[in-house]
Amino acid sequence: MAPIGARLKEFQRSEVERILSACTRCGKCYEVCPMAQYSKAPASEGKVVVPGVLAVLRGEPGSAEALGWIAVCTRSGVCVPACPDQVDPRMMMRLARMTALGGRGEPKQIERKEDRDYFDRIRAFAKLQLTDDELKEWT
Amino acid sequence: MSEPVTFWYGCNVLRHGDIIHSCLDILRALGFEPSPVGGPDYCCGTVKDANQTAAAGMATRTVGRLNERARRVVAWCPSCHSHMHDFMERGNDRHFDMTYLVELVHANRAKLAPLLVHPVPMRVMLHKHVGFNELVPVNRMLPELLGMIPGVEVLDGGYVAPGYMCASFAPLPKALEDIHANTVRAAKAAGADAVVTIFHQCYRELVGLDAAGATPVYNYIHLIARSMGLAYEDEYKAWKRAGDGAAALIGPDRLAKVGIEFYERAVLPELKKRPVLR
Repeated sequence: MAPIGARLKEFQRSEVERILSACTRCGKCYEVCPMAQYSKAPASEGKVVVPGVLAVLRGEPGSAEALGWIAVCTRSGVCVPACPDQVDPRMMMRLARMTALGGRGEPKQIERKEDRDYFDRIRAFAKLQLTDDELKEWT
Repeated sequence: MSEPVTFWYGCNVLRHGDIIHSCLDILRALGFEPSPVGGPDYCCGTVKDANQTAAAGMATRTVGRLNERARRVVAWCPSCHSHMHDFMERGNDRHFDMTYLVELVHANRAKLAPLLVHPVPMRVMLHKHVGFNELVPVNRMLPELLGMIPGVEVLDGGYVAPGYMCASFAPLPKALEDIHANTVRAAKAAGADAVVTIFHQCYRELVGLDAAGATPVYNYIHLIARSMGLAYEDEYKAWKRAGDGAAALIGPDRLAKVGIEFYERAVLPELKKRPVLR
């Protein structure tokens, strides 16, 4: 029996491979992104940024411009119809974010502040909002 | 005969018991028999981008639990719904049909219409995002649903926020400030009395605008529920408005369940947080 998560990891690996093959680095995804303006290292051309994103997907160090963009991606999805090569840049950026955060086993390249109370805060609100029976049956 | 469905409400909407309870009543009124599940034990794993081993384990556990229930799943949370579509079902065998609540209510709007009996006199602007709308066209469906409520006039503020919901902007304060400012500006320009959110993640952020006196804010479920005569109190809004005074509203018995130390450290700062108004 395959270990838990093996299929998901294989899906992610195959998506990375597909994206690396399909992307022509035209940069249109970056140029239409409404979040690019919030990057710590904005660039005037998408062509400068996208190769760095692909480098992250390959497990290599990303450029400052690429990491800055990856850090501000909030899944707007405006990039998807803008891509002339059907890359699905939203998936590209999601996988790049997972990789840059160290989530796929590669070295961490961007930081994210961990909220140690995240799940406990949800449980606390549940206790404030639901009855004991609802907590037992619904959560 | 009612169709049994699993109402998979997600995690963070547990801040809003009134929304969960209203959704259950709405589903029952539309002819469904909802069985609610959610919270961290049913997490989709989308918050674990930095640990895909944990995310995969959470996805497998949750898909397995939803499979065991052997009935259609109605999702509330846009993060859960899109994560199922993008990742969870790629790594696990999903044995249930799935729909998003807005989609289901919209498909049953003919049944909803006669239930909307109480006027809600309000000119509202829907708070929209660009993301998620490609998966479920909520930016089209919600104005149609809100427009069915007697007294509600839906105004187009001409502003669509980036991202797919507001909570993901928490680490990006400048962008969130822009969303707040643009939302208030658009609502005022359109002549709206209130801003209505689609997602609870936006409601959680924008209700700070309400607490700060910038504009009244509701979730769309609040307006549907009010028109149907459902009377669940929006306690989160009351606590948010009260800030330091929330403890008195919550009361000592409920606070004891959470623990004073945890409440003061991890809950109260959220209730006291206010947006930067420009």
